[in-house]
Amino acid sequence: MIGELHNLGFYQGFSKDSSIGLQKKSMEANLLLDQYYQQTEAILDKAVKEWQNLAPEKLLATTQPGAWNAAQCMTHLNAYGNYYLPAIEKAIEEAQARGSKAEKEFHSGWLGAYFTKLMLPDSKTKMKSPANAIPPAVVEPVETLAQFIDQQERMLKLIEKARRVNLNMVRIPISILPWLRLKLGDTFGFYTAHHRRHVLQAERAMGRA
Amino acid sequence: MLHTNPQDYLSQIWPDLPVEILADLGAVFHKLTAKRKTVLTTEGEVEKYLYLVLEGVQRAYAIGEDGKEATLVFTYAPSFSGVADSFLLQKPSRYWFETLTPSVFFRTSFAEFDAILQKHPLLERKLRIALSETLEGVLVRQIELQSFTAEQRFRTLMARSPHLLQLVPHKYIANYLGMDATNFSKLLGQIRI
Repeated sequence: MIGELHNLGFYQGFSKDSSIGLQKKSMEANLLLDQYYQQTEAILDKAVKEWQNLAPEKLLATTQPGAWNAAQCMTHLNAYGNYYLPAIEKAIEEAQARGSKAEKEFHSGWLGAYFTKLMLPDSKTKMKSPANAIPPAVVEPVETLAQFIDQQERMLKLIEKARRVNLNMVRIPISILPWLRLKLGDTFGFYTAHHRRHVLQAERAMGRA
Repeated sequence: MLHTNPQDYLSQIWPDLPVEILADLGAVFHKLTAKRKTVLTTEGEVEKYLYLVLEGVQRAYAIGEDGKEATLVFTYAPSFSGVADSFLLQKPSRYWFETLTPSVFFRTSFAEFDAILQKHPLLERKLRIALSETLEGVLVRQIELQSFTAEQRFRTLMARSPHLLQLVPHKYIANYLGMDATNFSKLLGQIRI
């Protein structure tokens, strides 16, 4: 994610007419959360209905040498979950303790909108994962999938919890640049986009895309 | 199976119940939609509702002093659901009740349900038979838990409710069977084609 910023022209300035432009977007907060909820639900549904019932070797299949298998894609996503799920939960709880209230409109920050667009499955930008999120060569498939499913369940609960706080004001430190804090609404945006991207990759690896 | 109204649903459970009783009973049930992993009843709370499951899978589970969950029962259509003992006795629940998948129910409150029972003694009798069957099920499960091996418990569940494998995360099924995820996965490998 952030580790590949140097590949993305982050330090070279943004181009206004780039396909991953920097327009600010406003949207009704609840509709936005509905959208992230449905996308997460769709991922979880697939993992429960299909993936967990496949022979574990399927999760270790690859289409070409060196490409990640499905278990490695999930390990990569689990690493993000291990950081972001507790971070989001903590931020929501602290916001509630401060008396944060839901705000009708969410205004995406320029950085958040930029990250989300980069992460989307149809983004043309090739990325390298940061070193600490690269999965090991050998991954235990059953436990990895169980953790993956667990994390999607937790994410759904967090999206529901987030309906009671202000998505504009609650901020989440980015995993490897903790001084950079994304709005909660944008964090959900790039997190689910990143998940969708690698879930598609996992499906391709299993020959199911 | 799609039911447009509670009366039709109840007539499938109790086909020989007179229409006027079905109508009275059906009238006190109201539709409820719940997302996945919605806690509907918490420990210590008196169960307010009796549920009829239209869609989805739910579970009742206790949380031990060590924080570990024990899945007591799964429910899915067509069936009653909720914390039955707490509802019928109007005593605090010892365990939790939650949805495991997106779910749709008809549900009624204790006061409404009790009033219909008082009005129709035949319904009280139907309920006694239904509860006897529930008791039978609970005791059969007690035998399974105490005298079956893990593999026997697994095979019994697969014979009774194989569809659960495609509906809920396997961790809940493993937990219901009292085994760890690795053991569950091994047993699943044996029956997988």
